[in-house]
Amino acid sequence: MTSYNPNTLPKNDNLSRFAFVVDVEEEIFIRKGKMVAFYGQLQFESLGSSVVDILIKEAFNAPAYIQHFIIAKGHGQLILGDNGNDIASYDLDNANMTIKAKHLLGFTKDIVCQESTMIGFLTLMGTGKILASSNGPVHFLDLPCRVDEQAILGWADCPSPSYRYDYAHVNDLLSLVGVMTGITLSGEEKQIDFRGEGTVLIQSSELALGSPTLGHLLSQLPALGRNELNSLSAAVAQQITSQNR
Amino acid sequence: MPRYQQINEKLMEVSLNGEAVFAKKGAMISYQGNVVFRRSFLAGNGVQDFAMRVLTSEGYALMVAEGTGTVYYGYNGFFVSIIQVVNETVFVESDTLLAFDARLRTGTMFLGNQGGVQGILRGAVSGQGLFTTTLQGTGEIAILSDGNAIGLPVTPQQPVFVDPDAYIAHKGELSSNIVTDLNWKNLIGQASGESYQVKFTGQGTVYIQASER
Amino acid sequence: MSNFRINTDRLLEVDLHNEKVMAISGAMVGYMGTMKFEKSLLGGEGLFGALKRKVTNEGLSLMQTTGNGTVFFAHNAAEITVIPLVNEKLFIESSSLLAYDDSLKTNTTFAGLRGATSGQGLFTTTIEGYGNLAVFSHGNLITLEVDPKYPLFVDPDAFIGYKGNISQEFVFDVNWRNMIGEASGESYQFKFTGQGVVYIQPAER
Repeated sequence: MTSYNPNTLPKNDNLSRFAFVVDVEEEIFIRKGKMVAFYGQLQFESLGSSVVDILIKEAFNAPAYIQHFIIAKGHGQLILGDNGNDIASYDLDNANMTIKAKHLLGFTKDIVCQESTMIGFLTLMGTGKILASSNGPVHFLDLPCRVDEQAILGWADCPSPSYRYDYAHVNDLLSLVGVMTGITLSGEEKQIDFRGEGTVLIQSSELALGSPTLGHLLSQLPALGRNELNSLSAAVAQQITSQNR
Repeated sequence: MPRYQQINEKLMEVSLNGEAVFAKKGAMISYQGNVVFRRSFLAGNGVQDFAMRVLTSEGYALMVAEGTGTVYYGYNGFFVSIIQVVNETVFVESDTLLAFDARLRTGTMFLGNQGGVQGILRGAVSGQGLFTTTLQGTGEIAILSDGNAIGLPVTPQQPVFVDPDAYIAHKGELSSNIVTDLNWKNLIGQASGESYQVKFTGQGTVYIQASER
Repeated sequence: MSNFRINTDRLLEVDLHNEKVMAISGAMVGYMGTMKFEKSLLGGEGLFGALKRKVTNEGLSLMQTTGNGTVFFAHNAAEITVIPLVNEKLFIESSSLLAYDDSLKTNTTFAGLRGATSGQGLFTTTIEGYGNLAVFSHGNLITLEVDPKYPLFVDPDAFIGYKGNISQEFVFDVNWRNMIGEASGESYQFKFTGQGVVYIQPAER
């Protein structure tokens, strides 16, 4: 098993499928909670604190997502991980790319980040590096193609896609009601249609599960006794009350 | 005939040239070309299939893709494995069957038929359905697993014991029965966590996943 | 020492010749040969160790496997790594421990205040001696060196264990202004100084 130190870590490259090393020299936007370790002198600034406001106005133009990102600055090697998801980096050279917001792990400061017209996606423009995670390795598809929304990681160099309903299997009343009310039954009735030139990035589809913290807590419950469960229950109730305030 | 190809551990593609492929509902990731989709149930007829439909309701409904083009399949980040079937029968939990086509004859088996009381016990122990899908003939199927699927060879000299929760499929001439590991520690509520195992004997392959579900 | 092998990242194969291996309860997914599984009543730590575990609630439910043949262990499709110990002592989050040779001895150590904020136990497990140890991680395990020249900072959720002459402290990032009350930020870290290696996973628990 290889062990690493600051001199042997890769520079701005993958350490493994699931970990990426950023050689921090200037400010970089990083998704909150994805730092697993670092060497060197690094500081993390939350967006919205006065020092970095000017930088944000230029680069981060997606207010709905601003609380999910921080700025790492200083000098050192920052190791990022995303819950065992695959991580890949993409170099932009005066180009644009759109990534599912919750899979965007970071981007260098000269890239401009804006909300895409597709809800839940961010469009990145300019020159620099983007980091994104995916459920399983990324697969690239040429256009034209139709993709399940849950399986899209992003797209590059192509026009914004549109929804398409496949009426061939809207073949009973229940699925018709589903289409009319926007609730799809299997996901296969409603697809995203990509046309023209460009590349689509796909991954294995995913369920919107709870956070890993929640999963961890739930997995520990069987170890608790009755009294412990009662005190946990009281603590949860108290936490909910304080958060509602 | 349809061509199955592994793209990565969590994605596969099926190339169609006028044929149809059956796949788990919700597993279609993307497609290119002229392909139409409709809903279906497990192929085949008979009382058992009817019973299965009633019992499982929508749960095991399938999507049929038919036409000319390429369909990509994956499901919730589960691992995908393509199994070659050569003039034999594969038994798969219906829930883990990702894709198959008309090259194989499908049926459903009530586990009580195969292993008697033991088969029912297995269904009860693992919390999986009592119905298992059987696929017979020569062709390919794709299955899902939590973590990669691992095929363990079974020979008459070397039976294999598996945790019911890790079991996903088996093929060949195999018989299975439950073995229990009862000793005084189990009896006073100090079970090791491995009180039941399924023993496979005969000639074939058992597939397990790297997870206890 | 029994032979520990990793099959395709997520399955641990252990060959036993009338030997004993300890594993977390429920991790056995299959075996060939003759095997016997028993709940380990004392966790190999003697009566005092077991009582301490009960008091400290560093939950570690173990079973012992004895027999002849090959036994397969896995846990929730997590990646597994074998760490051979050569008369060394390893500090490990017990929630990452999968299996270890019976020749190794485990114990419980007070780990300081860090547990209070990370949600993990206040007590950590130590394992020492000569033998194989298997840990699981979400994403492949990463080994990072610590040296007097370069201390290492680690997110508590990514921390799995360390060995060597290392001291561990808890640091709060004072630059962190607006994040108080936010659960998922990097508002505190472990700082490791000294000489040794630290094991982390590329994931948050």
